[in-house]
Amino acid sequence: MHLLRNLTRRKVRTTLTILGITIGIWALVVFGSMANKINSLVEGGSSYFGDKIIVTDASDGVFGNAPMSLSVARGIDQVQGVAVAVPQIQLLLSTEGRGLSFDIPDQLQGQLAGADQGRETFVLRYTRGRGLAPEDEGRNVVVLGADLARDAGASVGGTFQVRDRPFEIVGILEPTLTAPDTTAYVPLRAAQEIFAESLPPIFRADLDTTDLASQVVVYPEQGADIAAVAARIETQVPNAATLTGAEFDTLVGSTTAIFNAIIVGVALISLVVGGLSVINTMAMAVAERTREIGIKRAIGGPRRRIIRELVTEAGLIGLIGGLLGLILGAVVIVLANEAGRESGTVLFELTPETAFFAVVFSTGLGMLAGLAPAWNAARLDPVTALRYE
Amino acid sequence: MSSPPPLLLEGRNLRKTYRLGRGNIVKALRGVEVEIAAGEMVAIMGPSGSGKSTLMHILGLLHGPDQDGGPPPELRVAGQDVTRLSDGARTRMRARQMGFVFQSFNLIPTLSALENVALAPDYAGASSVAAQAAGLDALELVGLADRARHRPAELSGGEQQRVAIARSLVNRPALVLADEPTGNLDTDRSTEILGLLRRFNREQGQTFVLVTHDPEVAAACDRIVRMRDGLISPALEPPALEPAAAAPRSAARESPSVPRSAEPARTPAPLRSD
Ligand SMILES: Nc1ncnc2c1ncn2[C@@H]1O[C@H](COP(=O)(O)OP(=O)(O)O)[C@@H](O)[C@H]1O
Ligand SMILES: [Mg+2]
Repeated sequence: MHLLRNLTRRKVRTTLTILGITIGIWALVVFGSMANKINSLVEGGSSYFGDKIIVTDASDGVFGNAPMSLSVARGIDQVQGVAVAVPQIQLLLSTEGRGLSFDIPDQLQGQLAGADQGRETFVLRYTRGRGLAPEDEGRNVVVLGADLARDAGASVGGTFQVRDRPFEIVGILEPTLTAPDTTAYVPLRAAQEIFAESLPPIFRADLDTTDLASQVVVYPEQGADIAAVAARIETQVPNAATLTGAEFDTLVGSTTAIFNAIIVGVALISLVVGGLSVINTMAMAVAERTREIGIKRAIGGPRRRIIRELVTEAGLIGLIGGLLGLILGAVVIVLANEAGRESGTVLFELTPETAFFAVVFSTGLGMLAGLAPAWNAARLDPVTALRYE
Repeated sequence: MSSPPPLLLEGRNLRKTYRLGRGNIVKALRGVEVEIAAGEMVAIMGPSGSGKSTLMHILGLLHGPDQDGGPPPELRVAGQDVTRLSDGARTRMRARQMGFVFQSFNLIPTLSALENVALAPDYAGASSVAAQAAGLDALELVGLADRARHRPAELSGGEQQRVAIARSLVNRPALVLADEPTGNLDTDRSTEILGLLRRFNREQGQTFVLVTHDPEVAAACDRIVRMRDGLISPALEPPALEPAAAAPRSAARESPSVPRSAEPARTPAPLRSD
C-alpha cells in the first residue's frame, strides 16, 4: 500500500520511468519475437527433413525424374525398421529452363493426403485456406508455398496454372524458409497425370498412370538407426538410391549457421536495448531520491530497510513497465503479422517463454538497477546525501 | 545545590574539514570542545559559516568527526563513546534517543505532514497505528493538526518548520538538536514554539541544543555557546550578557509552575495555523 502510494505520489517521475522501461521491454518483446520466428524457420529447415529417408530410382539419369512403380513403395514397407513408405511425385513446376539461378527451383509435389499416417513432424501452417484432404483426390486443387503465392499474386479461390492446367487454389502456406515455400502441393492423381505427360511417348505406351511415383518418402520406426535402415533399403530394394536427413543437413548446414548468427545477434540487441533502457531509467529515478534517502537515514531509518523499500519499489515499476511493454509489443506483433500475412511475410512469433522472460527480466533488472544507486545513496553519510541536488 | 547533573554530550577535539575540488579545503570545525549536561537547554550562536550546523551534525551522529592524525576526537553520548559505533548502532541511537530539526527542514516532499512526522516513531520501532497516533499528537502540539494531510509544498515555510519540529519531538527523545528552529517563524509563533520546547525541557527533562540568531531565543536558554571560525569561545551564562533574561530562567529553576512556561503545559495554547 505504502509502495503504491509512493508511486502515485510522484506521478510524473513514475510515469516517465515506467514509460522508459515499457519502451525497452517493447523492443525486447518485438526483437525477441523476431528471433523466435527466425529460429523456428531455421529449425524448420533442418526438421523438414528430420528423420526421413528419400528413396529414388537409381537408374535415373536420362530423364531427371525416373518413374517408379507404387509397388516399390510396398516393397520398401517390408524392410526392417521402416514404419511407413509414402510414394510421392516430385517434379519441377515448370518445364522451361530457368537459366542460371541460385534459387531452389519451384517444385510440384503430389501425394495422398494422410498417407504418412501422422508421422510427418514438420508442421505446415496456412496463412489462408486449408491443407489438402483425401477427398481432394481426383480434383485439380493446389496448396501454394508462400513464395509461389506471393510471386503469382495468388489468393484462395483463384486459379493457378500448372503446366497449362488450371488448378483451384485452396490454401496458402506460411513461409518456412525452406522447400515448401517454393512448392505447389497437389493431390497424387493430378500429379501422376502431369508426370505421365512429361514422360517420353516410349514410356507412356504401356504405363499405368495410377501406379506412378517419382520418389518414396520413408518414415523409419521410432528409435531406428536411420543410416542402417537406408543401407538396408539400398540392398534389399532393386535400383533404390537413398538420401537421409543427415546427408541433407551437411548440404545446407552452412545456411543454418548464418541464420543462427542472425538469431543470436537479434536476441542480443534486444537484450541490450531493453536492458540498458531499464537500467538507465531506474538508476536515474533512484539517484534522484538521494536526498530523500539522506532524510530517512538522518531521522534513524535503517540502511537495509531503506534499500529494501526502494528495491521493492523498483521491482514494482519494472513489473508494470514490463507488462505494458509486453502488451504493446504483442499488439505491434499481431498487427504486423496480420499486415504481413497478405504478402506471406509473417515476421514475429511471440512465445509464452518470451513473454514470461520479458516480464521477469524487466522486474529483476529493475530491482538490480534500483539496488545499485539505492545502495550507494544509503551508504553515504546522511549529511552528504542531504546535500545532493 | 546537589551534585552536578551527568553530562549528556561530551565532545573534544572535534574537527571537520571539507575538501572541495582543486585542493580547496574548508576547516568547518577546528578542534571544538563541548559539554552539555542532561536536562540543559543550550543555545549556540555565531556568525554564518562559523561551523554551527557542522557541529550539530556531529553531535547528532550524522557525520563522524575527522580522524586526521591530530589529537584523537572524542564524542560521548550519555557516557557512551560513539566514535567507534557501527552505522547500525548510530542509526538506532538517532532513531530512539535523538530528534533533529534541520536548518532546511528536510521534509520528504511526497509524504504528507503526518506521514513525515510518523516516519520517526516508525523507525524507532512503533507499530504503524501507534506511529500515526503519535504523529498526530505531535502535529497538534505545534498547532498543525488540521494540516496533517497536506504535503510540504502545500505548507508555508513556517508551517514546514513546525512539521520538522513535530518530527523531532514525536519520539520524546532525550536529546533534541535544532538548527535555527525558529528562523522562519514570526515573533509570536517563535515565542510559542520556544515555550513548547522549554516546557518539554522542564517536564520531561529533555535536553535541547538550539542554533539561533535570535537573541530572545538565546536568552530563554540556560546557556549560550558562541562559535567563531570553527571554534567555541568560552561559554557565557545568559545573566552575564542579558540580565533581563535571568529572571525567567532562575524562576524556572526554582519554581516550575511559573505562568509563562507552565501555562501551555496543561492546555496547549490554541495555536493559529499560520
Ligand atoms: N558538506 C559540506 N561541504 C563543503 N563545505 C561545507 C559543507 N558543509 C559546510 N561547509 C562549509 O563549512 C563551513 C561551516 O559551515 P556550517 O557548519 O554550515 O556553518 P553555519 O551553520 O555556522 O553557518 C562553511 O564555510 C560551509 O560553507
Ligand atoms: Mg547553519
